[in-house]
Amino acid sequence: MVQFFQVYKTYPGSIEALADVTFKIEKGEFIFVTGPSGAGKTTLLKLIIRAEKPDRGEILVNGRNVVRLKNSHIHLLRREVGFVFQDFKLLNHKTVYDNISLVLEALGYKMKEIPKRVRQALRIVGLEERVVKQSPLKLSGGEQQRLAIARALVNAPSILLADEPTGNLDPGLKVEILDLLEKVNYLGTTVVVATHDTNLVAKYKKRALPLYRGRLVA
Amino acid sequence: MITSYFIRRALGDLKENGLTHLLSIGTIATAFFLFCSFLLLSVNFDSFLETWEKKVQIILYLKDGLDEKRIVQLKKKLEHDEGIIEVRFISKKDAMDFFRRDLAGYGGVLEGLKEDIFPASLEIKLSETFRTPERIRNLAAQLNTIKEVEEVQYGGVWLERLSLILYILSWAKWVLGGILVLIIISVTANTVRLTLYNKREEIAIMRLVGATETFVKFPFYLEGGLQGLLGAGSSLLLLFFLFYLFSFKVSPYLNLYFGQLHLSFLSFTIIMSILGVGVMSGLLGGLLSLRKAERV
Repeated sequence: MVQFFQVYKTYPGSIEALADVTFKIEKGEFIFVTGPSGAGKTTLLKLIIRAEKPDRGEILVNGRNVVRLKNSHIHLLRREVGFVFQDFKLLNHKTVYDNISLVLEALGYKMKEIPKRVRQALRIVGLEERVVKQSPLKLSGGEQQRLAIARALVNAPSILLADEPTGNLDPGLKVEILDLLEKVNYLGTTVVVATHDTNLVAKYKKRALPLYRGRLVA
Repeated sequence: MITSYFIRRALGDLKENGLTHLLSIGTIATAFFLFCSFLLLSVNFDSFLETWEKKVQIILYLKDGLDEKRIVQLKKKLEHDEGIIEVRFISKKDAMDFFRRDLAGYGGVLEGLKEDIFPASLEIKLSETFRTPERIRNLAAQLNTIKEVEEVQYGGVWLERLSLILYILSWAKWVLGGILVLIIISVTANTVRLTLYNKREEIAIMRLVGATETFVKFPFYLEGGLQGLLGAGSSLLLLFFLFYLFSFKVSPYLNLYFGQLHLSFLSFTIIMSILGVGVMSGLLGGLLSLRKAERV
C-alpha cells in the first residue's frame, strides 16, 4: 500500500529531514510514525501525498510511483489519501456542512449525492446533526478535530494520514480521537498517525515507525 | 453541474468581497466609459462627415461681363471633366431670387437690392469618388486657374477641419483602447490576487483533497471575466442613457442646421466587441494573477 525505498530528503540549508528510510505499510494497517519534534514525521507524510519530493529513493502508494508522478496527476494520488492536521485547518467562515461538502464539490460529486455523503461522514466521526449549520469556531477542540477527520474521510480514501492529530487536545480528547481513528481503520481505511506522544503509542499497541533525526531506528 | 458550481463560486466570491469588486468594476466601467465616448464621437463624426461629403459642391463665381455664349461653352467643358456629374448655371437674377427667398422674413431690408451686386455662378456637383477633402481641394485649385472664374468656394475648410477631428478621434480611440485594456488587466489581476489571498486556505485544502488545477483556478478566471463584462456593460448602459438624453435635446437643432443628420448609438457589432474586450481583458487579468499562485 505504502512503500519507501531508501528515501532521502534534505531541506535548503543542509537540514537533513529524512535519510535512508525504507519501510512498508500494508493495506488495512494502523501504524504510528513516532519521534520527537524535528524527527522527520511531517516530512514523511508530506512525501506520501507529494507535497514534497524526495532527493533520492522511491515511494510507492497504492502501486503508484509517487516520485515519478507527473504534476498533472498529483490530484489522482491525493484523492486516495486523506490528510488530518494538528491545527485542523478548517474554514471558519464556512459552516460545518460546507467544510465537508467543499471536498465533494471539488471532486465533482453529483449535487444530490453530496448531502447524503456529508451526513454519513459526520455520523462516522460522531458529530451531531445540530452542528451542521454552525461555524467550526463554535465547536470544541475535539469536535473540530472530528470535523477535520470527517472532511478527510468523506470521499472514502483508502489511506488516512494524521499529523499530530491529538497535539492540540486535552488528554481525554486524545483518546477519543485515537479511538475514532481506530474505528476508521476498522472500517477498512489504512491509517498512519504521526505523533510524539509515546504514552498514546504504548496504549494502542500498534506497529510503530520510530524516527530520530530523519532515520528509522529499531 | 460543474459549470453551475463554477458560476456559483465566482458569484459567491464577487459577493463575499463585494466592496473590492465594486471598486474594480467601477474603475473598469470608468475606463470603458471614456473609451466608448470617444468611439461614439468618432462614429457620429464619421457619419456626419459622410452626410456632409454627399452634400458638398463647388461653386465657381464668374467674373462680371462674360457673355452667355462663353458661359455655356465653359459649362459644357466642365460637364465633360472627370469627377463632375452636373453643372448648373445660376445667373445674377437667379442668385438674387434665391437670396430673396432665403431671407423672405426680412422683406424691408431687401428692398432696393439690384441683381447687379450678385455674381453669376456655376454650381458643380461631384461624383461620389471625388467627394474626399483632398480631391475636392485639388479640383478647386484646378478650377481656380480658369480665367473666367473670379472665386471658387467649396466649404473645404469645414470639410478639412472635420476630417482632421475625425483623424484625431480615430487615433485617440486606439490609444485610449490600449490604455483601457492595460487598466482592466491590471485592475482585475489585483482584485483576483486579493481574492486568491483571502481564499488561500480554501485553495490549499482543495488541492490537498485532489481537486484539479483547472477546478481550483477556473472560478478565478471566471471572476476576472465577469468583472470585465460588468464593467463594460455598466459603462455602455450609462453611455446609452446619456446619449439618449443628449440626442433628445440636441437632435432638433442638428436637423435645423444640417438637414437630415441624426445621431446614432454604437452598432450591435461594436457593443458586442466592447463586451468581448471586457471579458477577454478580465480573463487575462485573472490568468496573470493566477500564474503567481503557488502550488501547495
